[in-house]
Amino acid sequence: MAKYVGQSTRSKEGPRHVSGASFFTDEVRLAGMLHAVILRSPHAHARILNVNTDAALRAPGVIAAFTPQELKEKTKPFRPGRYSAGLARPIQEYAGAINKVRYFGEPVAAVAARSRAEAEDALELIEAEYEPLSPVIETSDALRPDSPPIFEELGSNRAWTGTLTYGDIEGAFKQADRIVAEKLKIHRYSSTPLEPLACVASFDAASKKLTVWVNAQVPDNIYDALRDAFGLDDVRVIIPDIGGGFGQKIHLIKNYAVLTSFLAIKSHRPVKWIEDRTEHMMAAGHSCQQEFEVEAAVKKDGTVLGLKFKEYDDVGGSVSTLTIHFTNKLNNLTNTYKVKAISMEGNSLITNKCPVIPNRGIGKPAMCFVWERMMDKIAEELNMSLIEVRSVNLVQASEMPYETPNGNIYDSGDYPGLLKRLLEKIDYDGLKKEQSEKRKEGRHLGIGVVIGVEPGGRNAARDMAVFPEMKQVPGAGGVNGATVKLEKNGTVALFLGSPNCGQSHETTSAQVTADILGISPDRISVTTPFDSDLAPWGVSAANSGNNFHLYDIGAIHGAAHKLREKILTLAGNVLATTPENLTIEDGVVFATDSTAKKITLTDLGRLAYSNQSVMPTGLEGGLHTTFYYTYPHAQPYLTPDVNRKVRAQFSFSAAAHGAVVEIDTTTGEVKVLRYVIVSDNGTIINPDVVDGQAYGSAAHGISVALGEGFVYSSDGQLLTVTLTDYGKSSALETPKFELEHYPVPSPFSALGQKAAGEGAAIPSPAAIASAVEDALKPMGVKVRELPLSPESVWRLIQDAKRNST
Amino acid sequence: MKREVQVTINGRNYHEEVEPRQLLSHFLRETIGLTGTHIGCVVGECGACTVIVNGKLVKSCLLIAVQMEGKEILTVEGMANNGELHAIQEAFVQKYGFQCGYCTPGMILAAHYLLSHTPEPTDDEIREGLSGNLCMCTGYMQIVEAVKEASRSLKNG
Repeated sequence: MAKYVGQSTRSKEGPRHVSGASFFTDEVRLAGMLHAVILRSPHAHARILNVNTDAALRAPGVIAAFTPQELKEKTKPFRPGRYSAGLARPIQEYAGAINKVRYFGEPVAAVAARSRAEAEDALELIEAEYEPLSPVIETSDALRPDSPPIFEELGSNRAWTGTLTYGDIEGAFKQADRIVAEKLKIHRYSSTPLEPLACVASFDAASKKLTVWVNAQVPDNIYDALRDAFGLDDVRVIIPDIGGGFGQKIHLIKNYAVLTSFLAIKSHRPVKWIEDRTEHMMAAGHSCQQEFEVEAAVKKDGTVLGLKFKEYDDVGGSVSTLTIHFTNKLNNLTNTYKVKAISMEGNSLITNKCPVIPNRGIGKPAMCFVWERMMDKIAEELNMSLIEVRSVNLVQASEMPYETPNGNIYDSGDYPGLLKRLLEKIDYDGLKKEQSEKRKEGRHLGIGVVIGVEPGGRNAARDMAVFPEMKQVPGAGGVNGATVKLEKNGTVALFLGSPNCGQSHETTSAQVTADILGISPDRISVTTPFDSDLAPWGVSAANSGNNFHLYDIGAIHGAAHKLREKILTLAGNVLATTPENLTIEDGVVFATDSTAKKITLTDLGRLAYSNQSVMPTGLEGGLHTTFYYTYPHAQPYLTPDVNRKVRAQFSFSAAAHGAVVEIDTTTGEVKVLRYVIVSDNGTIINPDVVDGQAYGSAAHGISVALGEGFVYSSDGQLLTVTLTDYGKSSALETPKFELEHYPVPSPFSALGQKAAGEGAAIPSPAAIASAVEDALKPMGVKVRELPLSPESVWRLIQDAKRNST
Repeated sequence: MKREVQVTINGRNYHEEVEPRQLLSHFLRETIGLTGTHIGCVVGECGACTVIVNGKLVKSCLLIAVQMEGKEILTVEGMANNGELHAIQEAFVQKYGFQCGYCTPGMILAAHYLLSHTPEPTDDEIREGLSGNLCMCTGYMQIVEAVKEASRSLKNG
């Protein structure tokens, strides 16, 4: 049956990308279009005293500008989002600063001019006066009772605290032979998509229709933000090619869509805004610095009976994504382990730093880091091997589908098999021998082995478990659609219900359709860009949450099957046979009992749109079907039960990662010699595409672990405003990957497929941490924090030397 | 204020008036209309705007348009021949040496420069040759494979 699913068929996106013919938002050019630039706060924390744009408005080419006062008067604040549902009192946040600036780089005002150069010149003429306030930068400062509240309304910078407990946590700690405790920390970083944020807005004042072209991963966020901000009903969101997303283009981009649209509405002209790199680094959103106090209740044999952790999140100067890194931990809360009791406390601390946003895993890399660091620590305290302690705790293949204490249902997987295969592939025993030989020569080889899940398919009801008091129910489960059409010339057109930012959605959806319709993928075209006026989209229309494999593939699968039925019904009528007698191969419908009875899809396409006489009575004309997919196995725990059990996500890929590093102890430099991944992503639609997702997300996780990250000065100035200062790895520093697939298809999804996207970014920081600690074990070094930049590794070594003398 | 500049881009002559401060990257995109040259940082770090000027691999955001007087520029749009992909482009498609496509034009030109000087590069030479071009999506594996494939394909004609 599957002729194309499972093959690396020719890419549909590739030809336009390699020839420079891609269509990114910056390629949008409209008649009369203006160019906007944004004035940003030079302070981390200050009261805005006065902003005057008069001189800027008189500058050559300038058509429009706005001040914080105008933004407040003419737009409405955002509705409180689901991540700020736990605030003691709601905070009104606008698309830009109003009375105060709360982070370096926060938008304050903007101008739109006939050219970008004129707009930049005019920006310097905006007068802005501030009263600087004491910045709150470190989380330890935010926790101090005398810390000046960044949002006065909240009275404190500890904006939210909450706990969730699953299972008998007290019993687990009573029964434990040992309590293993540790403090851990993961730093601020980003995914730095190569294409910065971008938006073009055009307002038709006569019909009150606002159209935006924007490189947003989630159309819903833009659609709602614009309708709310301007009180408009008719909003059209067009999403062209996106030059990398990774979560970076989900949340704060809505602010910029509002600011750009505001200028378009004011100027009666289309307006383009393109972020520059420095703006991106300071204000487009960071992953959250997360600190943990962890305790594990452990039996002598290594069994983890329970895990407790307190988390302190440095959420920056906004409440919009206050708990996003905490709530996402429900998605991989127990990782691959059988633990029965878990208790988590979240603390969201407001600081004068860039707001936090989703980022290749959102909180899940940190959850995996917590588990895998603890496993290493437990092994050490119990004098067990790192492998043994994991093996004791792994969910077994025979236990699938497996229900975790917090209500996730792991659909399929063979975690012990993944680990075993990884150890074989990396030659773990051989490496351990090599390590001890190298140690005799004074060289520091380390081997880290970790395992992690990659959840997929978002459940909108998840956050109700964290905020049972939630007033606005955010929905439950998910919905997304797809349209498949057999054209009158026999080709097939696909319309997807979500945007694409480089995951080859056009290619893989064509493969799925090709198998169902018995047609070559070459005969299928996938229409881009995403257009909210045309696309069959629902709440899951998101290049986010690993949604595509579940919702979009489910929708394509459903729509193509519906179309196949229609094709066979029409063909049955034309060929005077029953549809059950017919099949389709290579674009020809034929009777299985008589090869003489056949008709091409080209002929059927022509008939369907032009010849009513051959159509069966009652059959809808045309060959055009739309299908909206909802996950059919979403119960139980689609919405939280009384114990707050909820399915945070619906499918669970998993992978074992092995890192081999060598450390130069004189410089602290960590060199990754080998990086091996054994991965279960369920049924693979296109191996090259899945490989690419694993390589890319692993490369990012490793770069994060080895030093990329944001650094602020003590007064809240961002010191890492360029990619070099930020420390992004290039092709030279990125290791070569050895990847093997170990697919265990999901019994629940349309094709057995599971997620393949951000997956390798989840365990890779932990793998590097484990390998570095292993390399430096003879010195007694403990790795509790990321990043492991040369400087931090060197400091760890110096500290260990001091402690041993 | 504006200055004249005569330049050959992908074999075609252009005679333009430009602002002295206009960057080459913006000149290519805005004035000439060749939008395959992408902009990712404007400070010469990311390589998305990479083009070839008089045979040298350059980042077009670090040059200004008026410096281009009399120069020959190759952009990604000049790689294909009448719609037929260049062997390097074809290799990038076949080996999935791209994801979002934003770094891809710069990568293609960096690969072109590398292969015209080192027709059969080792893996390390490829990584060295591409080290001025950042890709946030792929982890470079399939890009390296694409360059190897291009090398084979160019060798076999």
